[in-house]
Amino acid sequence: MNNIDASAHYEVEATGQTPSLLTLIIDTNPRAWAALDGSLPFSKAVANILVFVNAHLAFGNDNQVAILAAHSNRAVWLYPPPPGRHARHGSSSGGDRDGDVEMAGANGQNGDSARQGAASSANKYPQFASIEASIVSSLRSLVSETAASSLPATTLVAGALTTALAYIHKTSLAYAPPKQSSDPANPTTAATVTATQTPTLHARILAISVSDSEPAQYIATMNAVFAASHARIPIDTLSLSPHASPTFLQQAAFITGGAYLSCAANPSGLLSYLMFGFLPDAEARTHLVTPSQDSIDFRAACFCHRKVIDTGFVCSICLSIFCEVPEGSECLTCGTKLALGKYGAKPVVVVRKKKKKKRINGLTGREETGSATGTPAPT
Amino acid sequence: MSVNSLQLSEYLENMSGMTFRRLYQQPSAAFAVFRRMLPHLAKTLVMAILYMPTPFLYSDLDVWVKPAAKRQKDQALSILRALHIITSIPASKDAQPAMALTTNFKNSLRLALEGGGDHNSFGVPSNMPVSEDLDIPFLDKYARKKWDDILHFVVNSVGITDGSRMSGETSNGPKGSVKELLIGGRLVERKSPTSPTIHITQAGFTFLLQEANAQVWTLLLLWLEAAEANANAGMDHVDMLSFLFLLASLELGRSYSTDALTESRRNMLPSLVDFGLVYIPAHDHKQFFPTRLATTLTSSESSLRSVSAGFTAASEGVADAQDKNAIILETNFRIYAYTSSPLQIAVLALFCELKMRFRELVSGRLTRASIRRAVDMGITSDQIISYLATHAHEQMHRVAAATKKPLLPPVIVDQIRLWQLDTERMTATPGFLFMEFDSVKEYDQVKRFAEDVGVLKWSDDRKGMFFANKVEQIKDFMKNRRKENP
Repeated sequence: MNNIDASAHYEVEATGQTPSLLTLIIDTNPRAWAALDGSLPFSKAVANILVFVNAHLAFGNDNQVAILAAHSNRAVWLYPPPPGRHARHGSSSGGDRDGDVEMAGANGQNGDSARQGAASSANKYPQFASIEASIVSSLRSLVSETAASSLPATTLVAGALTTALAYIHKTSLAYAPPKQSSDPANPTTAATVTATQTPTLHARILAISVSDSEPAQYIATMNAVFAASHARIPIDTLSLSPHASPTFLQQAAFITGGAYLSCAANPSGLLSYLMFGFLPDAEARTHLVTPSQDSIDFRAACFCHRKVIDTGFVCSICLSIFCEVPEGSECLTCGTKLALGKYGAKPVVVVRKKKKKKRINGLTGREETGSATGTPAPT
Repeated sequence: MSVNSLQLSEYLENMSGMTFRRLYQQPSAAFAVFRRMLPHLAKTLVMAILYMPTPFLYSDLDVWVKPAAKRQKDQALSILRALHIITSIPASKDAQPAMALTTNFKNSLRLALEGGGDHNSFGVPSNMPVSEDLDIPFLDKYARKKWDDILHFVVNSVGITDGSRMSGETSNGPKGSVKELLIGGRLVERKSPTSPTIHITQAGFTFLLQEANAQVWTLLLLWLEAAEANANAGMDHVDMLSFLFLLASLELGRSYSTDALTESRRNMLPSLVDFGLVYIPAHDHKQFFPTRLATTLTSSESSLRSVSAGFTAASEGVADAQDKNAIILETNFRIYAYTSSPLQIAVLALFCELKMRFRELVSGRLTRASIRRAVDMGITSDQIISYLATHAHEQMHRVAAATKKPLLPPVIVDQIRLWQLDTERMTATPGFLFMEFDSVKEYDQVKRFAEDVGVLKWSDDRKGMFFANKVEQIKDFMKNRRKENP
């Protein structure tokens, strides 16, 4: 009879793992990869990244992946293929598709997108083969479209981050619980939903960076980072190049609670870094100790000349950062007249008077305070 | 982890290490075991050490896993060991204890992720022309028809039929071999060896109340066991299992060549056709099509929900479409099921009192009488609850996820169990009564020991007696105690 006890509730939980969406941003700056060519050629890196992507997808049928290339002048979708290119490939590979232009992301894993990679082999899981085909062909066309003449040394990470966030948002809408409770007597208000909500989709961004952060993109990058932080999307960063340090991405990882690792010491071990450090998703990270960074480069870029600075001036109203006093001491962002105090005034040279050393009873002499004027002594 | 993966894992864990070595030779099998059988943390662990050149030290593992997650870690490790995925390397003179993946598993999983090799374990596509109407909706309809035939066969054996439509629709039941399998697996029983009428067993109810994927696995495992028992039939159960894992990795709507299969695997195809896992065109035996039942064998649960949505979409316009996840259960004991499938209605009628039936909707309520009737038939409350949970409407899942509440209203779940307990006023536990201790101290110590080892069932401190269902450990304890203080 002890079994019948009101305190023991039998609860039936909805089990099953939460799907996880990995958004991968690959820095494809040609210059930076050329510099890395000795230790880690681009083709080998892509092969490693593909294995990593497959490992992520192997976790479950509903795990998803989206891959973006952050190029030197734009951000390009590698997978799922963008609508325009999608149609072109479909026609080139047999053309048995009905020509619909869905972004093959949200439910393209049901084999629809796989069909276009017609050269499927018996030795490969079909879904893996389709992703590989898509990435390789997108990368090829990206490389062929890149002109050799104008190649900046930095990468447009901000654009890729923003695109990734937009994609994550779109995908998570498909998984979102209903906005309103179906029960009219007990409507779920928006406030309670956000308070108690568990995420129905674990989304995260992994940026694989090889180049320096472009200071001109500071504001755009930081806007994207704070948006990600607000949406609780961790941004992980893996820095490959020993010559560059992605300052802003390092900060992004810190702000959003992601992991930052640098495998600059041993770039050829890329796969081990990826598998060990970045494969655990949000669910696994509750049980594991994530790699942490001991020192973070918190430097910011100024709003006036886009220089990364250690110390500078901050507008007291809008917190804009300047490397030098703006013209007319007016904030360039909000236009507030800034009171600079005595900053910039030429220091008046004061002739230091020679002081007579007085000896007062009980005092063995004034302590050296370092100030120009001495403490007034009683006369 | 769902019910069926538990069954499958029991089956797998009973296999020998040798069998595992053979199973893992095939990359698709290693891949399927990885994605279906392992808890999340175990998957993460496997992936982390997959490309590690040296064994992974246990001390490093302890550093990596947060101390609070020790239980999950131990559970993950024990599953990995039971499935022969990791081996432990004991501590030696110059090395700390470590673990490593077993060679076959490591190589196969690497091959599965990287592609390459020439193992053909993800199916050889057929290059033969395929007729236009062999599309995914056709395969879905075909698979559903086959599977529903099997389920109807089991449901009809219950004895209570719901309406006249049932008998009309099950004109041709499943093949004789499938019937034999169901009987052999004791899902249904013949009343007497010769009589044609059959009736359902408790295992049959369990089977009926599972989700489709679990039902498929139950049947397949029965099939495997039958093949194992009947060794001279020329079927090797390890090969069969790895062929099933291969099927699970195929792509729906694509044709595969039968020529590339081995002789024994080709012999398996007719049985799989009977189950509805595979379709072979009547005029063309050179190619086969996996159906959705086969390709989702190793899928996880939430994707199965989308699979059944695909099923629904595929069979639009078919009047007796069977909506898998269509039940809404309210806290006032009312049940609404968005279905018009006679099969699902018949299953619901096993434990609910159905009140109204509309097109595409039946409503009813759970009552004490209806649950008791079900319990009397041999259905347990757990089965009812798990049926309601696996067939819960998408909306219930979403609300539960959004409000962090259990999927089914706890009040209903408790009540169903209480109603079952109503029928079990008395439970019998075989065991031993301990009484007439020399001292209160002795009684206390022995009783506390029995409680600690978890064999104490009942005790009365005043009378100084207690009842335990196992005696061996207590005997040893008392003997040692006597020795210490004679």
